[in-house]
Amino acid sequence: MLFTAVSVLVLAGALLGLAFHRFRTTREEARSTLLYAELAKKYFAWLALRAIQMSRRASSKAWWEYLKGLPLWRAPVLEKWLYASFYASFLVLAGSGFFFTVFVPRGLYGFPLVGHVMAGGLFAVCLAAVVLFKGREFIAVPEPARLGPRKAGVTAARARRWSFWLFALAGFLLILTALLPMLPLLRTAGQKLMFELHRCSALAALAAAAVFAGLEAFAAQPTAGASGPPGPRPPRST
Amino acid sequence: MSRAGRTSLRAGAALLAAAFGLAAAAAGQTAAAPAGPASAPPAAGDQKQTAWNGDRTVPVHLIPLRDENDELIVPTETDPRPYSARFTCGPCHDYSAVAAGWHFGGTAAAGDGRPGEPWILSDPRTGTVLPLSYRAWPGSYGPEALGLSAWDFTLLFGRHMPGGGPAEPSDKEALAHPEARWNVSGKAEANCLACHNRSGRQDHSEWAKQVLRENLRWAATAAGGLGEVGGMASRLKGTWDVTDGPNLDDREWAVAPHVSYRAVDFDSKHRYFFDIAYPPADERCLACHSVSPVDESQWSAEADVHAAAGLKCADCHRNDLGHAIVRGYEGEAAATGSRTAEAFTCRGCHLGEDAKGRKTVAPGRLGAPYPRHAGIPPVHFDRLSCTVCHSGPKPKAGFTRVRTSRANRLGIYGVATWSTDVPAIVEPVYMKGRDRKIAPNRLVWPAFWAKRAGKSVTPLLPETVDGIAGDILGPEDRVARILAALSLAAEEDETPVLAAGRFVFEPNVDGGIDAAEEAGAKAGRAPFWGLRKGSEVLPLVPDFDPAAEDKDTAVETRFQEFLQALGAVAGRPGEPAIVVRKTLYRLVDGFLDVSEAPAGLAGASGPGWLAGGKLAPLASDFDVRTVTAKAGTERTLTEEQVGLVLEALAGKTGDAEAVYVSGGRMFRRAKDGTLAADDDDAAAPVAWPLAHDVRPAQQSLGRKGCTDCHSVGSDFFFAGAEAAGPLLTGKTAKLSAASAMGLGGLFQRLFGLSFVVRPVFKVVLGVCAAVAGALLLAAGLAALGRFAGFTGKG
Repeated sequence: MLFTAVSVLVLAGALLGLAFHRFRTTREEARSTLLYAELAKKYFAWLALRAIQMSRRASSKAWWEYLKGLPLWRAPVLEKWLYASFYASFLVLAGSGFFFTVFVPRGLYGFPLVGHVMAGGLFAVCLAAVVLFKGREFIAVPEPARLGPRKAGVTAARARRWSFWLFALAGFLLILTALLPMLPLLRTAGQKLMFELHRCSALAALAAAAVFAGLEAFAAQPTAGASGPPGPRPPRST
Repeated sequence: MSRAGRTSLRAGAALLAAAFGLAAAAAGQTAAAPAGPASAPPAAGDQKQTAWNGDRTVPVHLIPLRDENDELIVPTETDPRPYSARFTCGPCHDYSAVAAGWHFGGTAAAGDGRPGEPWILSDPRTGTVLPLSYRAWPGSYGPEALGLSAWDFTLLFGRHMPGGGPAEPSDKEALAHPEARWNVSGKAEANCLACHNRSGRQDHSEWAKQVLRENLRWAATAAGGLGEVGGMASRLKGTWDVTDGPNLDDREWAVAPHVSYRAVDFDSKHRYFFDIAYPPADERCLACHSVSPVDESQWSAEADVHAAAGLKCADCHRNDLGHAIVRGYEGEAAATGSRTAEAFTCRGCHLGEDAKGRKTVAPGRLGAPYPRHAGIPPVHFDRLSCTVCHSGPKPKAGFTRVRTSRANRLGIYGVATWSTDVPAIVEPVYMKGRDRKIAPNRLVWPAFWAKRAGKSVTPLLPETVDGIAGDILGPEDRVARILAALSLAAEEDETPVLAAGRFVFEPNVDGGIDAAEEAGAKAGRAPFWGLRKGSEVLPLVPDFDPAAEDKDTAVETRFQEFLQALGAVAGRPGEPAIVVRKTLYRLVDGFLDVSEAPAGLAGASGPGWLAGGKLAPLASDFDVRTVTAKAGTERTLTEEQVGLVLEALAGKTGDAEAVYVSGGRMFRRAKDGTLAADDDDAAAPVAWPLAHDVRPAQQSLGRKGCTDCHSVGSDFFFAGAEAAGPLLTGKTAKLSAASAMGLGGLFQRLFGLSFVVRPVFKVVLGVCAAVAGALLLAAGLAALGRFAGFTGKG
């Protein structure tokens, strides 16, 4: 129950944060408002309006068109299938895992569990490949530390990098916490710890993925609301 | 003083005591007035032990024996009475508290608890395997609802009861059934010695024998080895009373029960030495609670790992004076209100956890090791009871057939064979319990005749069915009677037999018949009566020419012997006769009469019954067909028999429909007269969780890895068996392990299949984790290096 509440709060926070970033970045009234209460009022009004607009535009056909239009499909064949497998396996994992955690008291079991495990294997391979071949794009780190004043703050670029590495770290922990319980090493307490760590890592991965995808989608579509539902964009190749 | 004199004084003394309000006690005696089973509360000033004083020794039990009238037993006295636990043990141990305990049956104890092994009324003749219990357990029927009084129940199952409960009904209950013979037999009090006697003289077989003889009040004395009990209450008239003393009219047959005490065990003050064990020895528990695989040899049978480690049954199955013996299952504490119970579960001793997994119990009791359970996902502990992996035989195809003391009458020895193969109980069948956890169960398929009205099914007792069915259920008896009669005329090296189909039937010592398959015999062989000499079976009536002048006269002499023997068969349909080539042999005034067979016997041949001018075969086609069909099987009924009995019952069950339950199906007569089989809840198997024998950790499931259970062909999930039952039919239900657990077999097969690639999967995950981990480490180090200025940008 506690985990469910935390999950909801974390995901809601991530999504609201992304939406607020978009609001601040794209709306003139957001920049011209100084009072927090006024800002919040305008933000939620915009959010409600945006939600209504999106729900009116959203349809299976619109989603399909959006998916077909993703730059992912224009990537080289290996890269295309790597990302397709990566995204699909992660969606299956997140969908099955969180649905059963939140809505099924017994947790994940039966055929969904088998699907979850199979998707987990695919995800592990894809994650290793993505970190191996694309991690370098996110290795840009700050200037060397110095004692004098320096530029600070959370920028979109930094958030994108951090979310990538947070996702990679959480993914690594997900693999590890799936692997270790299968080995005859851990006793019951260790097994339970791995299970909790697996859930927490999954939540961290989901939140990081949401932030990363949100920022990527926003970066790809600077004119907000102009071309259908937001979605992930493949990392730019070097 | 004579017994009569003491008895009359007793009444006067009781009145005086009541008048003065006294309940005085002399040393070593209680002053409680003679009372019925529902005894009065303990008298003031008694010596009952209500609290432990800290002494860990068992005091020497050199105590006076007292009878059911609370009178001192003098062993050298003429015709002494049997001892009474109520008045012998009662002065120090509150008998009422003891007898109200769980161990003395569902009539005495409150709360039904988790289902346990029911009493199983087994009657092969009527094909009855009927689970009974005074406790409201699923699948078991209440004895009263079927018309079984406490008296009936005691005679049926008293052999394995510890006394008390149904065997010691209140006076009101006893009077409610005047047909019962409590006044003759007395009541079987809670038998303290059944469990607490350390003496090697404690004889469970003697207890069973005395119960069968209806010597209930004498049973404890005889079984405890206190003395020798003779006579049989079952042969006495219903008007006999224990105060009548010996039956002076009959010293051979209807001998009244009497006891001759072992005087050597008494001291000069008439005190008897009881060799008491506290807690009881395992031997005493196992007298009624043994369970062993049918196909196991005694020398190769394994003991429970706890017993092998030196623990006794009572180390875990503890109780206080109330004898609410801890059963040791999770949830017992909540069910019974005894917080002590949660400490004596598997989890309590080994993990220090209560049923909810809280660490509320001190672990390691009696050296219980803490289990590693390395590599086992915790979901197993949420969904499975400990016994799944650790108890009972390992799962195998067809399950393991076992015998239990109470169901199969084990532990009773004597001239007669008491133990039985039926009912067929199998284990381990994994099923979900009330706590939604899967646990191994013992399982028996019920079989009984019943009345069905709507969804209500009321079983019929075997004697009711037998009375209505008449001859339908007795083909074996009739064949046995004929063979037994013929054996009177057989030579020493000859055994009369009936040969039919592939089998040869011989009489056995129990008055029944044994079937043996004959090598080379064909299934369609015509039946004939014969004599077996060694391995050769010769016809009883050899083919010869009676008109021949050189015929062997010895043959006709044997014919006369056979006819004389057959003339003694009870219930024969006619006079015995033999026809050979149109010659009729029969007995007239005790002499062999040889005559030409009348025209009505044209075509007849061999031995038979002459009635109405016809020669009927010794055993009817129905009898031969029936015994031949069942030969070599455990089945005791054919579909034909069931159909006929259902037809006979149809007119006796009123508006209700007569049905027969066997093999997991309910059989009824369809409108066209055929036998139809339906599924019905009443035909479902009756199961109860098992806990023993516990196997060593190295033999537990999962020790060799996940594939002990999670594999494509694992017996844990995919063992299956046909339902057992007395009816010979192909319409039985089938039980699979997965369905018994409420799980889908397809999923478990696919899931098991996934373990084939599990090792590869682990390697892949390991490599991916290593690559991702190494890159993360490298990225982290690079970032740290850049942050510290050790490395340049870009």
